[in-house]
Order: sequence, then C-alpha cells, then structure tokens
Amino acid sequence: MPEHVTLGDEIRRLEEIVRKLEADDLPIEDALALFEEGIGRLRTARTRLADAETKVQQVLRDSADDTLKIAPLDG
Amino acid sequence: MSSPDDAWSVSRLARTLKGRVEDGFDPTWVRGELVGVKRYPSGHWYFGLRDDGAKVSCTMWKGVATRLKVPLEEGMEVFALGLPAVWEERTELRFNVQQVLPTSMVGAAAQQVERTRQRLVADGLLDPLRKRPLPEFPRRIAVVTSIAGAAVRDIITVAARRWPGVELLVIGAAVQGEQAPAELMAALRTVADLPPVDLCIVGRGGGAREDLAAFNDEGVCRAIAACPVPVISAVGHEVDITLADLVADVRAATPSQAAEFALPDRSEVLVRLTGWQEMLGQSMTTILRRRTERLGRTTDRLGNAVLGRLRAAERRVHAVERSLPATLERRVRGPRERLVRMEQRLAPAMQRILADRTATLERHAAALDALSPLAVLGRGFAMPRDADGRVLRRVAEFTPGAPFTLRVTDGDVQARTEE
Repeated sequence: MPEHVTLGDEIRRLEEIVRKLEADDLPIEDALALFEEGIGRLRTARTRLADAETKVQQVLRDSADDTLKIAPLDG
Repeated sequence: MSSPDDAWSVSRLARTLKGRVEDGFDPTWVRGELVGVKRYPSGHWYFGLRDDGAKVSCTMWKGVATRLKVPLEEGMEVFALGLPAVWEERTELRFNVQQVLPTSMVGAAAQQVERTRQRLVADGLLDPLRKRPLPEFPRRIAVVTSIAGAAVRDIITVAARRWPGVELLVIGAAVQGEQAPAELMAALRTVADLPPVDLCIVGRGGGAREDLAAFNDEGVCRAIAACPVPVISAVGHEVDITLADLVADVRAATPSQAAEFALPDRSEVLVRLTGWQEMLGQSMTTILRRRTERLGRTTDRLGNAVLGRLRAAERRVHAVERSLPATLERRVRGPRERLVRMEQRLAPAMQRILADRTATLERHAAALDALSPLAVLGRGFAMPRDADGRVLRRVAEFTPGAPFTLRVTDGDVQARTEE
C-alpha cells in the first residue's frame, strides 16, 4: 500500500465500491474485482486504524535565520 | 398619476408602507435617551428614544425584557439594537428593540470590540458564506495555543481517543497578555508555511473576560480569516463569544470540543467498516446467485438436448435389434456394446464440453446483458409496437388515432397516436 494513500482515501474508496456493487449492473468479472479490492481495503483500513498512533510535534521558528523546526513535543 | 378611479384602500397603503420600511433593513444600533418608559402587565415594554432632533416610539417584547441586565429607567442613556416596524392597524412606526445596553455599562473596550466587529463586517469577514467545511478525515492539524496551557493537553487526549492516526503540529503562542495578539498572528501565519495541514485549531482554556482580549483583536481575526485551511476557534468560554469565534469557520466552546469537531470517531468508523463488509458480501452473493441461476437454466437445456439424442440413438438400436432374427443378433451386439462404451466415454467428455460451454455462455450472458433491449429500456427508453407486434421506428409508421403498445422495462403501456 503506497504511503500517500491516506486512511481517508481508503474509506472513501470503500464507500464507492459498496455503492457500485449494490447497483448490481456490473459484468461479473468487474464485480469480483471490486469485491476483492473491497475486502483488501477493509483489511488495510482496520489494520491502519488499529496501528495508528497520535504524533504530536512542536513547531518552532528559529529567529536567527527565520526557518521552521519541527520536533516532537516533550511530555 | 393617481386618480380616484384607482384609489387605494387604507389597508393597502398601510401594507405597502410596512413593506417599504421593513424590507431590507438590517438590525441597527441606535443611541438615545429613554423617555416614557412603561412596562405593561403583559410583560412587554414601551418607551421612546430621543435625541436633540428626533424621537422614535419603541417596543420591547417580554422575551427581550427578561434578558435585560439592568432595569430601564427614565432618562437613561442607552444603545438599543433593533429594527423599524410598521403597526398596520394605526399605520404607526415603532422601533422594535432586541437588545438594550446602558451607555455607562458599555466600556471603552466593548465599544472598541464593536468598532472592530463593524470593520470585519464591512470587509465581509463575518459572512456565513465564507465558512469553509471541515475535512472528513484530517491527517495533520495545526494547533495554535499556549504550549504550557491545558488546551493542548485536552486536544491531544481527545485526538488519541478519537482518531489516533492524526499528526498534531503545535505552534506555541501567548494567549493572554500584551504579547498575545502579535504571537497569535505570527503563529497563524506560520500555518501556511507548514507541511500541508488539513485544518487549524486556535484557542485556549477558560479565562476571565479581560483575558479574552487577544481573541477580539482585529489583527488576530484577520489572520484567522487569511488562514489557508479551515479554522476552528476554541476560546474556552461558553458565554462570551469573541470576534475570533465569529471569523472562524467553526466555533467550539472548548479545546476538547474543537478536537471532537475536527476528528472522526474511530469506533464509529469501525462500525461503518463492519457494515460495509456485510454489504460487500451480500451484494456479491446476490450477483453470483443471479448469474448461476441463469447459467443453470441454459446448461440444463444444452445437456438435455445431447442426452436426448443419445437416447434416441439407443432406442433406434433397440428397435432394430428387436426386429432382427436371432442369427443376426451377434452382428448387432458389437455395435450395441460400442454404443454403450461410447456413452460411457461420452460422459466425461460431455462434462468437459459443458464446462467449456458454461464459460462461453457466461461471457455471452455478460455481453447479452449489455446489448439486451431490456437493458436499454431499463435506462428509460421505450419501444412502441403496433397491434401486430411490429416495432414502430418512424413517425410515418404511426397511424393517427390507432392504438399502439409502449414496451417499457417492466411491462406494456397501452397508448394511442393523437395526430
């Protein structure tokens, strides 16, 4: 799963797949392909939801050269 | 030019005046002195507002009156917020008051806030149409608040519970004191320089009313409006609404609530995923069952036809056998046994052929689906046919006055050509 596919993308795609399959006017090959994709994405979404951890970072502006630094927030 | 012939009724005059006065008038603050203050047993108040040059009669309904912080007194100098209204029965104008503030209560600070508000209104920054929707699944959120404050802790706690996948980028800023406006503005401007964020929460925990001054600061409000992503304000006050709240896309009462507004709830999403899993299974089962049924009917017909021919051959052999004298039986036995062996060999071959046919049929069934006139009808087209079942394709084929049948996706409709 490419990193740039977000959990939100995953969920939106799943919604689309469910809608398409419900419409029931698909050739059987397409229906099967969608079904398999849906099951795969369900699994991925669950895993990502379970594994997710909140990341908290602090943004600091270096007054010397006016650049931004992002570092984990202590505590 | 008006003439007695088309004289208006008095009611029409009153109604027209009412429309002209009331339509398009926004609530307006008016400053004046209270005169003739009367409270009626009904709970409504009547009084006049006047200055050196003019006077206006005012009404204030009971519901407004009960919210007054200070009782109204004769001669009191006040700000009154209201709308002009025409009382049709007497064609009299009233200023219908929605809020009254004694000028003595409205300190310099509050007047300053009001002036700032008016400037923000003038620039369209409080327009509800400006409000941006919040993203459904944010990945990264900027949090502008005091690093040491309770607000950031609350937001982290709620985020970890609701939607742990999110990344919070905290930009520290003083939220009270003299430095606060400048620091808040700088922090809000920083949001644009961060790695892409989906939204921004700006706020603080609760505080005294004076401490909220930074969130009424014009520069801070304009920085919120200029933020490239939707902003949720969380100034931590249920009662006092700051200008920052008015400019923000969404106002939350507290930082925890801001995080709740900002993030979906993991447990709700998990419930949704489970629902989708069931729906996927059900849809697929339905699709497969329909195809299998159709295929089943076709293969049955195919199989029966082949078996029927085999049996017919067998019957012919038996008939010949019976009609032959015994001496010839030996000559017949050979072919008969061959026939039986052939039938035995044929069984697996038939299976293979049937499997091949099944696959071919499946492809054809799908293609047929796409081509079927019924599928076209399902998209909303209709097929006209005359009494003999001939399809009517052109205008010339329709006989005026003659009945015809309109075939639609689920049946026939009787129709008639008008002309």
